[in-house]
Amino acid sequence: MFEVIIFQIVSGLSEGMVVFLCAMGMTLILGSLKVLNIAHGSIYMLGAYLGVMISNLLTGIPGHFYLGIVLSTILCALFGGLVEILVIRPIYKLNEIYQFVTTYGVTFIMMDVTKIIWGGAPQTVNQPAYLQGPVSLSGILLPKYNLALIIFGIAVFVAMHLFINRSRFGLIIRGVTVDRLVMSIFGTNVPQTYTLVFMIGCGLAGLGGAIIAPLSAVSPGIDFSVLVKAFIVIIVGGFGSLNGAFLASVIVGLTNACGILFAPKVALGFPFFIMLVVLIVRPWGLLGKPIRE
Amino acid sequence: MSEDRNSTFLSWRSGLALSLLLVIFYLLPLFLADNWLNLITEMLIMALAGAALNLLLGDCGIISFGHAGFFAVGAYTFGLLLYYRLASFGAAFLLAIAGVILFSLIVGWFLIRLVEIYFSLLCLAFSQVVWVIVSVWYSVTGGDDGLNGIPIPGLLFSAGGSYYFVLTVVGVCLLLLFLIRESPFGYSLHAIRDNRKRSGFIGINQKLHIYIAIVISGLFCGIAGILLVVLLHAAFPGYASLTKSGDFLFVCLLGGMYHFSGPIVGSFLYILLHFIIHRYTEYWPIFLGTGLTVIAIFFRGGVVGFAMEKYQSYLFRGRTRNASADREPA
Repeated sequence: MFEVIIFQIVSGLSEGMVVFLCAMGMTLILGSLKVLNIAHGSIYMLGAYLGVMISNLLTGIPGHFYLGIVLSTILCALFGGLVEILVIRPIYKLNEIYQFVTTYGVTFIMMDVTKIIWGGAPQTVNQPAYLQGPVSLSGILLPKYNLALIIFGIAVFVAMHLFINRSRFGLIIRGVTVDRLVMSIFGTNVPQTYTLVFMIGCGLAGLGGAIIAPLSAVSPGIDFSVLVKAFIVIIVGGFGSLNGAFLASVIVGLTNACGILFAPKVALGFPFFIMLVVLIVRPWGLLGKPIRE
Repeated sequence: MSEDRNSTFLSWRSGLALSLLLVIFYLLPLFLADNWLNLITEMLIMALAGAALNLLLGDCGIISFGHAGFFAVGAYTFGLLLYYRLASFGAAFLLAIAGVILFSLIVGWFLIRLVEIYFSLLCLAFSQVVWVIVSVWYSVTGGDDGLNGIPIPGLLFSAGGSYYFVLTVVGVCLLLLFLIRESPFGYSLHAIRDNRKRSGFIGINQKLHIYIAIVISGLFCGIAGILLVVLLHAAFPGYASLTKSGDFLFVCLLGGMYHFSGPIVGSFLYILLHFIIHRYTEYWPIFLGTGLTVIAIFFRGGVVGFAMEKYQSYLFRGRTRNASADREPA
């Protein structure tokens, strides 16, 4: 029983890390651009498809799996930049209903475009041989790839944390988040910064999609499923809060895993229940800042 | 806003047009085949749901991402009562309405504490909870398969029967919604939308007004859900999905959310387009997505907003007029 619990925790955490990558991008965009990007799930799906396609195309070249991940991250970031410039720029200052509708429209367009390009059949890719199979940790067999995902997720979190809080560009992002007018007076090119933030957010989503591909087949519909999970994570964690998103992904991943273990029938509802409680008790999220009315 | 001017300006004409429209609608079954009749019934149901949502969206300026929740609560309460033969048709109808009101009262109680995007997302959370409950509770709701073969009285079983029933109910509900919109209560909602701070200063109890608006909006959306069960004899978890909520929002935007007729026109166009495009291609979402994006970027007034603008510039040609009067409020 103990082994089963540990196994579930590991798989829950690794799934949580992937959702975290997507949610981190979304919360970054929401925090600094004040745009709720519904299309984020689609970028994640695009990342997954691209990762699978590139790494399958390059089979034979050493490190083709990593090449797939890196290239799909970059392509997703570029695609995100294109989306930002074409459709999101005209609607920054408007009521959020239009932002919702525009990004929702992009979601539908991408849903069909991916279906046209890759068809409806599930696509698979294999991780490198040394990441396949289980590893024994003090007698408990755990899947290597899931452990690698957890470590990778934590590494990305630390890197992003340093990037936002220590680097010069991170300072600009934080500045634009607080007051874009003052930042533009100080000579920051605010629209360009917005595009870059959007690109980083989309790149993170693409990265998340590309690294989950070996664990679950990539098929239509993963866009909405990850979108809803990322929603839950950013609400529970607090809008615009990286630490909150991390904490919330861990919580949601663990509740999911425990839910599947102890009450598989209602496990689907657990994350929503957490979201509901958080929204009622602490609407600004666990680590977010309270809103002023 | 120049709406008050419009309504007096156009009153006798619009009254005449409406009664003509009503006569046409009541005579339609004589000319149309059953599948077209079902399509129009679907349009009417969508129109009611859209108009209900628009009481919050267009009139009060608050966005709900989860109106499908109310829709599904109405549909499932009604469907379950009939499916397990716990009540007769009429009693089930009334009980389902009571259920929706109860649900809206509970949801609204939590919703009014929040503002802006938090409000929208809590709506989404509640609708997702409804979705999870109906799609997981296999023993009662049939889970993913939904409730099929809900017994509907023979009179309403045919396409014509359900059409007349839906038309009557939707007509009455739309009339009620219109009266609510034109009442002092409706104007207070407009005041809250246009300037939240100021409306508080003149003594409008905002939370109470929004609470009542949520309950009314949820109630009519729930009635739309009930009507869909009457039409399809079935209820599915998809009624509570995020895409359903998105459909309602799209209908309001397509038609124009600052006019009462917006969601109605929007839903007719939406279902007609869906029907036509679906005949030729399976790639309906790509058209939907393009439509959504184009409307949000270029046609924010929607179809009705666009038409009214053109119509008014035609009416007021040659006369000076405050050009910004009919634009969306800032």
